[in-house]
Amino acid sequence: MIRTNVVRLLAASALLMSLSACVSVTSAPAGPYKIGTATVTLGHEWSDISAIMFARPAKVRLLSMDGPLLNRLYVTDGLAPGEFMVKPAAKERPTPTYRAGMAPTELVEFVTDSVAALDYQRVETDNLRPAKVGSADGLRFDLKAKTKEGLDISGAAQVAEVKGKLYVVLFLAPSEHYFAAELPEVETVLGSVKVG
Amino acid sequence: MSVFRSVAVTACLFLAACTTTNTRLADKSPTKPAAGAKILIVQPDIELGLLTVTGIQEARADWSTQARGNIKRELEEAATAKSHVFRSLDPTSVEDPRALQLLRLHEAVGNSIRGFNYGLYSLPTKKSFDWTLGNGTQTLAQAYDADYALFTYGRGAYSSGGRKAAMVGAALLGVSMPMAQQYAFTSLVDLKTGKVVWFNVAVAGTDSDMRSPEGAETFAKALLKDAPL
Amino acid sequence: MPRVLRPRAKGLALLAAAVLAVAPAGAQPRAPHLRPTDTSDEGGIWALSEKAELAARQSVERNRDPALNAYVTGVVAKLAPEYQGDIRVYVMDRPFFNAQMALNGYGEVWSGLLLRVQSEDELAFVLGHEVGHFAENHSIEAYRTLKARLGATMAVQFAVAAVAMGAAVNAGSAQGANDIMRAAGALNDLLYLGQLAAYFGYSRENEVEADSLGFKRAVAAGYDPAAGATLWRSLIAETGSSSFKRVRDQEARANIFSTHPVSSERVKALDDLAARTPTKASTADRKAYRAVIRPHLAAWLKDDLRRRDYGQSLALIDRLAAEGEDQGLLTFYRAEAYRQRRGEGDLELARKAYAQAGTYPDAPVSTWRTLGDLALQAGDRPGAKTAYETYLARAPQAQDRWLVEASLKKLSEGSAT
Repeated sequence: MIRTNVVRLLAASALLMSLSACVSVTSAPAGPYKIGTATVTLGHEWSDISAIMFARPAKVRLLSMDGPLLNRLYVTDGLAPGEFMVKPAAKERPTPTYRAGMAPTELVEFVTDSVAALDYQRVETDNLRPAKVGSADGLRFDLKAKTKEGLDISGAAQVAEVKGKLYVVLFLAPSEHYFAAELPEVETVLGSVKVG
Repeated sequence: MSVFRSVAVTACLFLAACTTTNTRLADKSPTKPAAGAKILIVQPDIELGLLTVTGIQEARADWSTQARGNIKRELEEAATAKSHVFRSLDPTSVEDPRALQLLRLHEAVGNSIRGFNYGLYSLPTKKSFDWTLGNGTQTLAQAYDADYALFTYGRGAYSSGGRKAAMVGAALLGVSMPMAQQYAFTSLVDLKTGKVVWFNVAVAGTDSDMRSPEGAETFAKALLKDAPL
Repeated sequence: MPRVLRPRAKGLALLAAAVLAVAPAGAQPRAPHLRPTDTSDEGGIWALSEKAELAARQSVERNRDPALNAYVTGVVAKLAPEYQGDIRVYVMDRPFFNAQMALNGYGEVWSGLLLRVQSEDELAFVLGHEVGHFAENHSIEAYRTLKARLGATMAVQFAVAAVAMGAAVNAGSAQGANDIMRAAGALNDLLYLGQLAAYFGYSRENEVEADSLGFKRAVAAGYDPAAGATLWRSLIAETGSSSFKRVRDQEARANIFSTHPVSSERVKALDDLAARTPTKASTADRKAYRAVIRPHLAAWLKDDLRRRDYGQSLALIDRLAAEGEDQGLLTFYRAEAYRQRRGEGDLELARKAYAQAGTYPDAPVSTWRTLGDLALQAGDRPGAKTAYETYLARAPQAQDRWLVEASLKKLSEGSAT
């Protein structure tokens, strides 16, 4: 009836207003940036937009220079088996979860299917090559995708398993200007991942 | 307490008779395009509808067409008034893939500006107004023989009579109902560098209903306030 | 509120003619080549449909294969010759069973539907069903019913839902700013499914009527009268196999925005119609239809697996394999489903399936690399070695050659992985 709806509405708006007071965009200054057990080294300042990211899993951070429509640098803490990089919107639309003993192509699939779960279209990978994260053997690959509006997106990804957990770094940006603009910095970040 | 806040917010909106605008300039004193500069006016992307009491937004083709035509005319007049030469571009007719990418990139940049320059949050990495499409815009400059591009984007709804009544009732109960709003943003892009030299968001008040020629004139003037034209 | 299974589809099945004000169901069908006046709500929806059509035309999800689009257009032309020139159908690469037709004649057929019909006869029936909605202006009824129903309920309640769907224009709201990405999406909200989904909720009577209209058109065009019932039955069976309870509970739909499931009554009605119709014996030619979709099978199955509803995907693959064609490809995707599902015993099921796929000439080459990977996971080192060597022999130019060679090297050195 009326009363329950009004109460529900007021509760919802009170929650929203109090939430908006708590969350904010913070600075991730040049230098070491820690996410749980992982650390990356940023060559210049980034904005940490993790807090305003919709439905963000706790182990995933999102850095940006110009906002999530123009560049996204995802950095994760070690994902344990059963954990996802992208939170599912509904139980009937599950997102990829990490599993122990995945083959290299399955690790790549984990990232590309997660990117598709972020509503990117026609996700493809290319140029799979080895990478080193500390002493661990990792994988590095490139991505191509499109937004729903048809904007071409380029990506760079790196995955590594350390002590049974998966560490992911993923950069996505429009192919027009924005990907190339930050790629040198992103390569530095990818090479700087330290675990433990 | 949230009850009083929402009533206060609604009351403020009811009182807002004047169009509010909010301009951003890339430079404090920008270099205005020289007289005779060629400005590519991208046909305004405007969709208007009727917001009914139940919250359904009914698309209104006639309003959207009127608004698009009115705003386009005002923009062209403003451009010629400052003795610039304008060219018109219908984005739906563009076929060149690179040009299409640039148009979509502009949408992403425009929405980012709206989100971070006008929204609740700002980016520490964007202390000054410094947005760009990259110098790929030179392809647009060549394809359309233009020095600048002027984009306009508008969305909005007008409350039906039933909805207006319901809103007053809701406000008395201490509940805020989403209010019908009409807003637009324009950006002026230097096609040589891709830099957004000027950006403005305008929220319409009761005196600038863009469906009518007079309202559109007021609204367009608000949109182009401080435009370095 | 209509449940939205998949956002972002555009198009309306709302129809109104300039002639009709409030036409009861069963009144004269839409005359060809109509356009409503601009100021009516029908006019507004017509313009919205035009914009949605433009978006569909430019959409990333559009399947642009000329042969496939021509084929689908050809079937519609056989079904609705009187609307020649009024209807334009676009094939969209979306892994759900769906087809719809908007006010201005713009139609969509999704790849998930093309993958699930087993013959041109079944395709004709479901397209005829949608043409039926189009011809009888069911959508305008749906819209008016929705308006009337919502007016009686709590306006406040819907407004909250509307805000949540991004339908209302509230640029400066806390919610909009809290999620910049969604706020940006909400700017295009006029075209987004959340708004338009409301317009697709046909009444049960209209769904039943569209079934019978689809049947009539398909039979008139020379298609198998039994096709409709067969299709609905396989759809019901597949939905019943879903891994998700919610999907099973919602049951099969003819159109994903429809609020009424394909019920057993509807199937029986089609059986009765078929029984009364002398069959002109066009036995549903499944092989011919498969030839049409064969170039797209792999891509569409890959998309289907992305939904992660393995129950449904496996039921679908079983049905696709019924005629004995494309065994290598289909068995490979069955294996992929087991591999991705990773339930109890799935590793063994996957290994068996990949091995079986490899016995057919049309198995994708990655079959052997995956066989190697899974053999390793199962601790079968000799099996992994054989599979990897086969892969390298069959795919000398493979991009991931270096990876497989590294694995082989480690195997021969005696270390795991």
